[in-house]
Amino acid sequence: MTRPILTSLMVLWATSAFAHSPLNATVPANEAIVAEVPSEIVLGFKGNIRLTRVAMTHAVHEADLDLDGFSGFISEYTIPMQSMGAGTYQIEWRGLGDDGHPMSGTFSFTVQE
Amino acid sequence: MTSTGTVFVALLFQVENIRRLTVVFAMLALIATIIGFSLGGAALTGDMGGMTDPEMLGLLWSTPVGTALAYRLVGLALLILGLMLGRSGLWVSAIGGGLALWSFASVGHIPDRDIFWLDGLLLIHLAAIAVWIGILTPLKRLANISTAKAAADLGHRFGRMAVVFVPLLILAGLVMSYVLVGSIASLVGTGYGQALIVKVAVVVVLLGLAALNKLRFVPKLMNGDAHAAQHLSRSISFEWVAVIIILLTTAVLTSALTLPS
Repeated sequence: MTRPILTSLMVLWATSAFAHSPLNATVPANEAIVAEVPSEIVLGFKGNIRLTRVAMTHAVHEADLDLDGFSGFISEYTIPMQSMGAGTYQIEWRGLGDDGHPMSGTFSFTVQE
Repeated sequence: MTSTGTVFVALLFQVENIRRLTVVFAMLALIATIIGFSLGGAALTGDMGGMTDPEMLGLLWSTPVGTALAYRLVGLALLILGLMLGRSGLWVSAIGGGLALWSFASVGHIPDRDIFWLDGLLLIHLAAIAVWIGILTPLKRLANISTAKAAADLGHRFGRMAVVFVPLLILAGLVMSYVLVGSIASLVGTGYGQALIVKVAVVVVLLGLAALNKLRFVPKLMNGDAHAAQHLSRSISFEWVAVIIILLTTAVLTSALTLPS
């Protein structure tokens, strides 16, 4: 009984995070079409943030990108990524603003055949 | 909010028998505070595991959200402790309640502005609301035929005080809204502004009910009108509904909606 309640509360909280849309720019840009799989992705934020999870989905595969090399609150993240071949990559990120607001968002790019 | 308000009311109006009610509300507040903080951890990982993830909770703790949690937990603990100490402990409870209220001044949009007097205004706004909410249950409890005299007396004393603090409460709300929203265009054209309009509309209903109580039901009660107690009791129930809608709207305003830039 408590689980659905907690889950819906969590969704509410997560929705609140979207409202703050703090992302400045990404490389590759959202919905960009690129010739080859980039070796790293860049997320630039308007303010300082501590990324807590970056999940990459490609076709049916999903993997969390490694954030171990980062600490503290910064505004630009260059994160190494592994190739899963051509196709569309969906990146979902979550993080905490230095004012304590949880934030999250998604962007995607496509690698041509 | 309710527990703090009840303590304030107990001090201001020498209301008795508030201990059980206050402890229940303070416990609920404690549980809600802890769950709320854990949910912050879950929002950071995207799964329920985040609720107990020490790294995520530690990260949250290092931000103003952690500071607010500390104020609120210590405040509520003091409030409960004070209630255990009997009548003289009320002051301890009031200080605890004040700390818990202050916790709201360390997160949200007002503290983001870093304007000291604005934090002060928020605290006045919160304290006045706490007193208002705090009077509802004791007054409703008294509002029956056998204790009509006491209800009339309490309602009358509260009404006299409300003449001073309700305008202050509204003034503080207006100033904060102006600082946060800034223009009529932002008020009408943004989600934040529209939610604020909804909140103010419900506040107007609440003020209407309060005016009805003060100008009509309490005087009737003082004159020994048998139906007045029932009317007052029903009116307070409606006040509760309005208060809950206002608090929910405020929760959305302070956490979910972004300010008009």
